[in-house]
Amino acid sequence: MSKKRPSEEYHKTFAYHFFRWLSGEKDPYLGNLEMKPQPEYKTDSALQLRHEKEHDAILDKVYDTEHNKVLKLFHRLYHATSILFCLFLMALLLVTISHLPATGAAQKPVNNEVAGRYIEKGLEETGAVNIVAGMILDYRAFDTLGESHVLFVATITVLILLRLDKNKKGELSSLAKDMNPNDRVYEPKNDAILQLVATFLVPIIIIFGIYIILNGHLGPGGGFSGGAVIGAGLILYLNAFGFQKTERFFTEKTYKWICFFSLSFYCLAKSYSFFTGANHLHSIIPKGTPGAILSGGLILPLNIAVGLVVACTMYAFYAMFRKGGF
Amino acid sequence: MTAFQIILMGLLIICAISVSFSKNLLNSVLIYMSFSLVMSLLWICLESPDLAITEAAVGAGITSVLFFVTLKKIHAINVAEKAEEKKDE
Amino acid sequence: METLEWLKIIVGSAFLLCGVVIFFTEIFGVFHFKYVLNRMHAAAMGDTLGITSCLIGLMIFSGFNYTTLKILLIIIFLWFASPVSSHVLSRLEVATNENLSEHCEIYEDLTILEQELACSETAESRKEEQS
Repeated sequence: MSKKRPSEEYHKTFAYHFFRWLSGEKDPYLGNLEMKPQPEYKTDSALQLRHEKEHDAILDKVYDTEHNKVLKLFHRLYHATSILFCLFLMALLLVTISHLPATGAAQKPVNNEVAGRYIEKGLEETGAVNIVAGMILDYRAFDTLGESHVLFVATITVLILLRLDKNKKGELSSLAKDMNPNDRVYEPKNDAILQLVATFLVPIIIIFGIYIILNGHLGPGGGFSGGAVIGAGLILYLNAFGFQKTERFFTEKTYKWICFFSLSFYCLAKSYSFFTGANHLHSIIPKGTPGAILSGGLILPLNIAVGLVVACTMYAFYAMFRKGGF
Repeated sequence: MTAFQIILMGLLIICAISVSFSKNLLNSVLIYMSFSLVMSLLWICLESPDLAITEAAVGAGITSVLFFVTLKKIHAINVAEKAEEKKDE
Repeated sequence: METLEWLKIIVGSAFLLCGVVIFFTEIFGVFHFKYVLNRMHAAAMGDTLGITSCLIGLMIFSGFNYTTLKILLIIIFLWFASPVSSHVLSRLEVATNENLSEHCEIYEDLTILEQELACSETAESRKEEQS
């Protein structure tokens, strides 16, 4: 690491002046404008009292919402416009729906040949014994990508609403402390029975969740349910051992990197067809024998990606509700 | 449609109505949790085990836990009990 | 071998019926008791024992294969998880209830409890010697 420059040298550089100008600390008149020596400013108590009375009178007039004619007109116009807008939106949507094919028509996806083809050729085209998993992760993988992104956006929204920001020392601001009193005062902390049983049960729950994820293409399960089970295991660990121990392996960085890698892996694996045309390239990963774990092409890695996102989301929601952050 | 499925569906309707008409917020969340559980049983009867596992894990597990934590945050867990105490006094 | 089949059906159904009876007793207890700790006691014991009886009945019905092993693992998991959750709930109730002295006796000092128990034990042993 280089030595820090002495401040006299730094004050002469261009970077110092530029950043001061950028952040607004630089006074544009200092050293540029000639001013005559000004008389000292004396505080006059009578003048101050008059100023305060005028200030209060102005505020009373400005915030007087009951006798304000413009505000009343605005309220009436607002109600009328909102009703009109809702009616317009309803009419637009109904006209759109009336253009869809009628119930029972032959071209609707419910009645045409798509469902039959998925069931007949599902096993040989996707390699997955569980047709549902083959459907959501191979034929319609793009929809599942949208679902994973929805989970991510939901977590970000909850983060915006519930996060308590800490300053650089790691303490909450006094306003945040007043607004969010500690609601974990009465909870049983460091319960010996719970900790002993949790050391035994949490690995079992996580292994069970991983089993559900890995067997997503062979039997019921898949990424979503397995992820929910792993999330539940993490919540149990948090309740038994407290925040300090959980932060040893699950911090905000962990959450960020896991979600980023899972979602970008999913994106890269399934959305290059935007650029290469609607026909996917042939899959590099072989489909394997149906019934083995390493079969189904890309379905197993995609299941793992979805499972990780769901598990992190569940734990993140719980931690943000309880503590205001992770 | 066996008798078992009809009984479960009747239970579903009873749960749904009592969630709306219950006075205590905590009771509503508990009944919603049991609604999810009955729904999970119905998914098994309709031969979709994927949905059954997901509904049990997510509905009867995670969303109910999140509802409880929300009630704790807005201090609404003992709302009806305090109202009853005031009526007694 | 037919008697074996019949025996399986009868024993399995007996366990299932036991489980259902235990659940009924537990639900009756939960709605009947006035105080929270009594209800908690009924719910915790009834839940664990009832689900174990039902699952043992199902194990007997299923025979001797991998499904039975999975049900056995479920029974072990529930025997660990269900009592611990009841314990944590009861502990929370004891910590937050303001009127706890109306419901049960609270001992601030454990030595008083030990003395009372010792006195009652000696009184019982004296009664047994007399009779």
